[in-house]
Amino acid sequence: MNLRGLARAARRRPLGALGGFVVLGLVLVACLAPQLASHPPKDAAFPRHVAPGTQFRMGTDHLGRDVLSRVIWGARLSLYVGFTSVAVGITLGLLWGIFTAYAGGLADGITQRIVDVLMAIPPIILALALMAVLGPSIDNVVYAIVILLAPTAARTIRSVVLGIKTTLYIEAALALGCSHARVVIRHVLPNVLPMYVVLLTVNVGYAIMAEAALSFLGLGAPPDEPSWGGMLSAATRAIETAPWVMLFPGMAISLAVFGFCLLGDAFRDVTDPRLRQGLG
Amino acid sequence: MRHRTRVISVVVMLAAALALVPLATAEEKPQYGGVLTRFIYADPGRLDIHTETPFPVQIATAGIFSGLLHHDPADPAKITGDLAERWTGSADGKTYTFFLRKDVKWHDGEPFTVADVKATLDRLLHPDFRSPRCGAMLKPMVAGFNAVDRYTVEIRLNAPNSNFIPSIASAWCRIVAKHILEKHGDLSRPEAQIGTGPFRFKRYERGSVIEWEKNRDYFVPGVPYLDGVKHFILVSGPTQLAAAKAGRLMLWEAWPPLLRTQVDELQRTRGTEIEVFTAPVNTVAMVQLNTQKPPFNNRDLRRAVYLGIDRQEIITKAMDGSAMPCALLDPKVVGDFALPLEEIQKLPGCRQPKDQDIAEAKRLVEKHYPNGVDIEASIRSVTDYVDRAQLVVSQLRRIGIRATLKTYESAAGYSIYGKGDFTLIATQDTGMVTNDPSDVFMLLFRTGAGRNYGKWSDRKVDDLVEQGIREQNQDKRKQIYHELQRYLLTQDTPGVIVGWIEGAFFAEKRVRNYRPGPTVFDNNTFMKVWLAR
Repeated sequence: MNLRGLARAARRRPLGALGGFVVLGLVLVACLAPQLASHPPKDAAFPRHVAPGTQFRMGTDHLGRDVLSRVIWGARLSLYVGFTSVAVGITLGLLWGIFTAYAGGLADGITQRIVDVLMAIPPIILALALMAVLGPSIDNVVYAIVILLAPTAARTIRSVVLGIKTTLYIEAALALGCSHARVVIRHVLPNVLPMYVVLLTVNVGYAIMAEAALSFLGLGAPPDEPSWGGMLSAATRAIETAPWVMLFPGMAISLAVFGFCLLGDAFRDVTDPRLRQGLG
Repeated sequence: MRHRTRVISVVVMLAAALALVPLATAEEKPQYGGVLTRFIYADPGRLDIHTETPFPVQIATAGIFSGLLHHDPADPAKITGDLAERWTGSADGKTYTFFLRKDVKWHDGEPFTVADVKATLDRLLHPDFRSPRCGAMLKPMVAGFNAVDRYTVEIRLNAPNSNFIPSIASAWCRIVAKHILEKHGDLSRPEAQIGTGPFRFKRYERGSVIEWEKNRDYFVPGVPYLDGVKHFILVSGPTQLAAAKAGRLMLWEAWPPLLRTQVDELQRTRGTEIEVFTAPVNTVAMVQLNTQKPPFNNRDLRRAVYLGIDRQEIITKAMDGSAMPCALLDPKVVGDFALPLEEIQKLPGCRQPKDQDIAEAKRLVEKHYPNGVDIEASIRSVTDYVDRAQLVVSQLRRIGIRATLKTYESAAGYSIYGKGDFTLIATQDTGMVTNDPSDVFMLLFRTGAGRNYGKWSDRKVDDLVEQGIREQNQDKRKQIYHELQRYLLTQDTPGVIVGWIEGAFFAEKRVRNYRPGPTVFDNNTFMKVWLAR
């Protein structure tokens, strides 16, 4: 798609374009964090609770760290957790969903009961339990979110594959002697990919929220890591005296989730034929 | 004379605290009934008062057990008989005889006798028994003991020791039941909490609450006044403050002390219902190094950390300014046994500004690790430790030590430390068992000391500690402790003393007769506390 095509798509779906713009901005901030941040994010070398001003654009926190630098580095952490956990979790869900729907029978029954069990537990409780077992670290946050995302993605993908499985072209491929592997790779997978992409974009915002929630509760990233949730948690003790410490990471979380949700909605609209044809 | 000055300073501090705590007036008669509510800052986990060191264990069991002696609940500066109705000391100061009460029953109805004292001392003094507080205090002093008759026990010391009676009266040296030890093996579990104290152990819900109920057969007639005590387990600072503001806590007297900002918030919301008071805390905050593992088995690296840590910054930013930096002994508690603060504040490590010390620390690190070194910094995730630890990590980075912070739940952290499975403890507080100047060295610096987690061993320090315990002449004793402090402040050390913690507490005005003890561990049985209606 060239620039003119992009502009046309943006005019057609302005909210999606706004989401894409926000996400692109966050990705740039995360990639350029070492250049953009004026101070190391863990360096507590400044006076505590300095109000936003010319020296510190977002002020300093309770330990004397530059809030702007931590928010910038926090984007890197949030996007790392968001992208990694979603990529792994949704991909696992994709494979799980295709396998369970295509195989059917006992394998489908057993794996779907596992999904039932995992989905019956409230996600945040499951995440807290997992983090309590795994211990606080960024990689463990990724594992916990992967375990949260994979079953729901598997259930969604399974429902799509069950529909595809009964189509005439699958029956025809099998009648012509195609192996099951070939049918899955050549005929099932391409038809599931749009849903996969939608799940990817929609869930990044969810993963960022989950990471922030876990860090807020002290079970996410280690306390000195510049995590937006962790920053919010530390800011609770000085809401009245230093509200900026809470305000900026809170805004960053909202902006990131807003951006990914708008982008995810736009992808869903584009890939849903009913909405695309104006029937939705 | 100097000793008297020290005693006077402690008495003055206690008196100042007492002046602010709501006490019963002469006209008021104690009222019976009611449940006192307070909190414990971490889940104690194992409840064995002899084998564990965490303060939550002592708080959770304080009202359950009695000692031979204790600090008088009416006058905590004074040591009086508890299970021993009286005691005598020999002329040479080496033998003490304790005469036990004959009317005492354990909470399960069994009679208390000298056999229980013997079983307790056998346990505490056994060379293979790890008792980091009481045992660690008594073992170097006690030569032996014997049961004279069913209600008399005699304890012999290696040498006269002025800290023996305070140690026996310490809240960690409680007498436990022989038949319970035989039945359960140790005192870790709730069902083993059978004591002779004013309260019985009622309920322990992990992570939630510990409850005591009134012991109606308590050997002191007429007490306790309370029907029970409820200790909520509240780990996070904001939760503790929220509970205090909501009126769920009647008393905040143990740990952590209130920060100034918290005091302001409480006074805004509950100003007319509470009294805020300061009391001696006698607790030291320290960064500890594992001297058995790289990189801190290297003396230069230990010195680098010692020079690089900015105590004043940690106290200002993470402790709300509520601590006295650098000193190995707190002059407010031990008087002139402590080195003058002016001398300490000029020494490398403590002096400000830090530029010169940081440059030297970097040089020492680069000498052994030209590209810096990566380590793991451990902390228990309690009170303000997380904030302090982040500052320690930030300061270590300035001298070329890149630390990754690893947090542990309170009891799990102690377990890791006890096994020596750490490189650096970013912060750990230790409350003194008594107010004697020997305490900090006995607990933190002596070879094999209960809180010497880094397993540091230095013959000169051990010798000086031993001399300090044995010496009876107070002027000579002071010289020994000055030499010991100068050695630790200028030569080698297993860690960095950040500071002696100070702070405020509160009691609801209806809580009567609560008197802070000389250390945070003392006088928290609530035996004579009552609630005014």
